[in-house]
Amino acid sequence: MSPIREPLGPTSGPPTQPLRPAVHRRIADDRRVMALGPSKPRLARPMTVFLSIACLMTFAKVLASGVPEGTRPPVGMVTVPAGVYQPPFRSETDAKQVPVKAFALDRLPVTNGDFLGFVRANPRWRRSQVKRLFADVNYLADWNGDLEPGASSPVDSPVTQVSWFAAKAYASWKGKRLPTTSEWEIAAAASPTRPDGENDADFQRQIAAWHSAPSPGRLPAVGGGRANCFGVLDLHGLVWEWVSDFNTAMVTGDARGDAGLERRLFCGSGSQTAKNPTDYAAFLRFGLRSSLQASYAVHNLGFRCAQDLPELSVLPPPAP
Amino acid sequence: MKTCLASSIALGLGLVMVLRAGPVTTSVVTHLPPCCRALPTTNEPSERSLYLLESTWTSDVGRKVKLGVLRGRRQVLAMVFTRCEFACPIIVDDLQRIQRTLAPELRDQVDFVLVSFDPERDTPGVLRAYRQQMHLGEDHWTLLTGRPDDVRELAVLLGVNYQRDARGQFAHSNVITVLNAEGEIIHRQVGLGRGPAETVAALTATLPAEAKR
Repeated sequence: MSPIREPLGPTSGPPTQPLRPAVHRRIADDRRVMALGPSKPRLARPMTVFLSIACLMTFAKVLASGVPEGTRPPVGMVTVPAGVYQPPFRSETDAKQVPVKAFALDRLPVTNGDFLGFVRANPRWRRSQVKRLFADVNYLADWNGDLEPGASSPVDSPVTQVSWFAAKAYASWKGKRLPTTSEWEIAAAASPTRPDGENDADFQRQIAAWHSAPSPGRLPAVGGGRANCFGVLDLHGLVWEWVSDFNTAMVTGDARGDAGLERRLFCGSGSQTAKNPTDYAAFLRFGLRSSLQASYAVHNLGFRCAQDLPELSVLPPPAP
Repeated sequence: MKTCLASSIALGLGLVMVLRAGPVTTSVVTHLPPCCRALPTTNEPSERSLYLLESTWTSDVGRKVKLGVLRGRRQVLAMVFTRCEFACPIIVDDLQRIQRTLAPELRDQVDFVLVSFDPERDTPGVLRAYRQQMHLGEDHWTLLTGRPDDVRELAVLLGVNYQRDARGQFAHSNVITVLNAEGEIIHRQVGLGRGPAETVAALTATLPAEAKR
């Protein structure tokens, strides 16, 4: 089995020691094939200035592209402009490019405080009442009690140890939904200065540094990082996040043998077959998603919500 | 006298069943598939029962149902789509072989469910045509289509990965799942054309335990 998979099982060890150490090993193992880190030449300063301007222009374009008042995203969300997602792996028949419509995305991951509100209002999602079908035994295991996040889960830190079902239920309680893989990746590809962060060496280095560092036992508060050029924070550097269609990963067309998982993509140099081997983090996320089960509640795995932008013709009146 | 009594009881029972089954939108259907028979009486499903899902599905006879209507009988379940060129006909054939291989005492206690990956194109009408084309008897086969979100949710519970590709086909895992009468997953067979033995054995194993109840 892949090293990524092993720490994820519902029975795996103490919840404070999950993904990152394995990820760390993998990065160390694969450092030779990674074109990440200090070996990459730094961009010249004038270039950075130019790119910042380019990013601002993209943003301005979104604002100016005939987006009227009412299509502004709801409070706490930002608009991620339409884009094209290129999956890191695909079979012959998979789409090489997935067009993604503009959508609204939460600026920040959902916090323990937010989730407390959800379980207060929805008793069946409390730790003591959730059905095993929908969440494994690690569900909110760090909390002190059903309605008590406790010291190890500060209210302004991202909620983790929530299953996909719980995340989905929270989102629909909020009138939102989970982002799709394509949406999430488009949002996450943006660096603070440009929408195509894969070409931003500093940004890639920071992501690599996060993946290499062991995860802290107590997660810091959300909003500590720097917003990307769409205005979204903490897509990297805090927790992994659920997406609605996490179970699309690595399926081959008309899969015959096993469940269709491309096992060869898991082994050491798998990332070399990826679309862009320098974007190692995208490969890690791909591996992570394909190893998840919907009932898993994992330390370091949280979520944020997305929403369709309202159609122009059916705009609701602005909230008072 | 005895036969008269028996037949009136039978008639009465039949009438009760028809009444409980409620209206059917399609008049040509004479036998209701398992999804659309009278609801079994229920306490809450168990912790790991798929029948905890609250999603609503539409069967090929047009009835809107929750998965809980399948409760009380063993179900063999697979996800397919009718435009599938390769894998799905084989899965359906695998299920039919399982059905033929069942011991006579089991054959009547096991139902089969096909759920579509492709709600957009697999309308109830298309599923109904598929039922005829694939010779899926009304007595034991249920065909369901649902909202994309609900299809995704069921798929993750079954451990079925899928993705729509550029041609509008679905790349998908091939999984045959056995549910016990409670709706808990008791067996999964992954892969195509693996033969009926494994799944039949899993079904047979449920027999003594449930007979004791």
